[in-house]
Amino acid sequence: MLSSKSKRYLSGSDWVINTLDYMMKAITSAGNMSQIVLALDSAIDEAALRMRLNNFIKEFPVLQGNVTRDYKLTPYWKIPEKAEADVNLNVYHAEGPASCRDVLSLLGQNANTLFKNNTEHLAFYLIRDKQESFFAMNFDHRLFDARGAEAFLDLFQRCLADDDFSVSGDICFTSSSALTGWMKKFYAGRNVNRKIIALSKSTPEALPLPSGKKKSFRYRLVSFDADETKRIYDNAYNEAGYLMEMPYLLSVVIQTVHELFRGRARTASSYLVPVSIDMRPGKDAVQELFFNHVSYLFFQAQADGTDNLKGLITSVKQQMYEQVKAGFPSDLAEASLLTRIAPLPVLGKLLHLPLKGKMATFVFSYLGKNSQQLPEFMGAGIKNIFHMPRVPVPPGLGFFCNYFNGQLNLVISYLEGLLQNKEINMLEAGLRKRFGAGQV
Amino acid sequence: MTLNDIEDKLIQGIASITSRDKASVEADMPFHKLGIDSMGFVEVLVFIEKTFNLKLIELDLTKKDFETIHSLASFISRKL
Repeated sequence: MLSSKSKRYLSGSDWVINTLDYMMKAITSAGNMSQIVLALDSAIDEAALRMRLNNFIKEFPVLQGNVTRDYKLTPYWKIPEKAEADVNLNVYHAEGPASCRDVLSLLGQNANTLFKNNTEHLAFYLIRDKQESFFAMNFDHRLFDARGAEAFLDLFQRCLADDDFSVSGDICFTSSSALTGWMKKFYAGRNVNRKIIALSKSTPEALPLPSGKKKSFRYRLVSFDADETKRIYDNAYNEAGYLMEMPYLLSVVIQTVHELFRGRARTASSYLVPVSIDMRPGKDAVQELFFNHVSYLFFQAQADGTDNLKGLITSVKQQMYEQVKAGFPSDLAEASLLTRIAPLPVLGKLLHLPLKGKMATFVFSYLGKNSQQLPEFMGAGIKNIFHMPRVPVPPGLGFFCNYFNGQLNLVISYLEGLLQNKEINMLEAGLRKRFGAGQV
Repeated sequence: MTLNDIEDKLIQGIASITSRDKASVEADMPFHKLGIDSMGFVEVLVFIEKTFNLKLIELDLTKKDFETIHSLASFISRKL
């Protein structure tokens, strides 16, 4: 184990995220990034925000690091002694009340904006009108996963709320080059290969990617109010069982995507959906804010069985259970350590080999309850929080759910040109109908 | 196996799954207050199968069965 303030070895999952970043920069307008958005009920003071944010960011040199390799060939995050660059905060003022559509469009543009250089991994946006504001943090997935980014913002909020609350970002990272225990890694790799071979028996359906490079992502926010959310969670309990929201939400999304494929007259045989899961051991909260602590479960659904919701939910639950029981998420994390030997372009090509390069039908994530604990941000009430990730291409389509303050949000993220307007409208209407929520 | 033994094993397993200190997990705590989501819940079910040889995923579980660790221990005790 290495304890260092200047170096943190990357895990296998970090390396896969780096590879996806490389691939996305090559074929879309930016890398593997995401954005968290806080919708606030009043305007906030721009100058005070800039100052507080700048002070906070400069506590964390890790935010301005970059990836390199050492003589042992293990890639690592090189951390500078000091965080010197000022915060990248961009402010937009709307003349009158900004419409939700305009704000989303602006946030969408921000989510697709490249960072300035290879040591910038965060950018902030403040959109203000006379009545409310939106604060967004655009983050590099190589530095944060979604939960880590949420927790980082939560830490900032706690610093804002309490002047006595001090935080030191001078972190001594404990990490391992993981160049031992090879048999364990190879056995894990064998198990992962077996799973991939099993999944490859049926090539998953995926939407054809639009031609042309440098495309951006588009977003559709599907928000459910408190009554609708309660109904959705009641449905989840009745249809899927106690604490089985994720299998219920995923099954409904699969049904809705199936309708999309039917609309295109595509005769799909099966769908494949990777779902990210949190693997934090929970030992050191501050260290665990940074980098990736995720693994994946893979769900396959036969197209001809998707009309039966109960059957689909049972299948999703069963697959979840079998993969957890077999230790698949930890095997995947262990086996992916072996991929770090491959340079990014090579690993990018390797990732395309199984499943005839289709990789997945779409990606799905359910973050559950938000880690934000405080109801206010710089004196403004937080009305809602949601995520706007860019999705690896292929498949270039993702559904991301989170729950905040009694409200469920579902963001559909898709590569420009992948879906037509009428199709994204159809997806939203289909989701609302199946969840038993009102139409917009 | 007594109800206390079952409860004790459950507390141990749930503490490990939720990365909590064993002492902070009490038998009368509702599951949702332990910060358990769908994934954590499936991990608990896998733990139960491995420890008590009971495959609960195939049974229709109700909120009542999982109201607290104590009620889950009673449920397991009835099934053993």
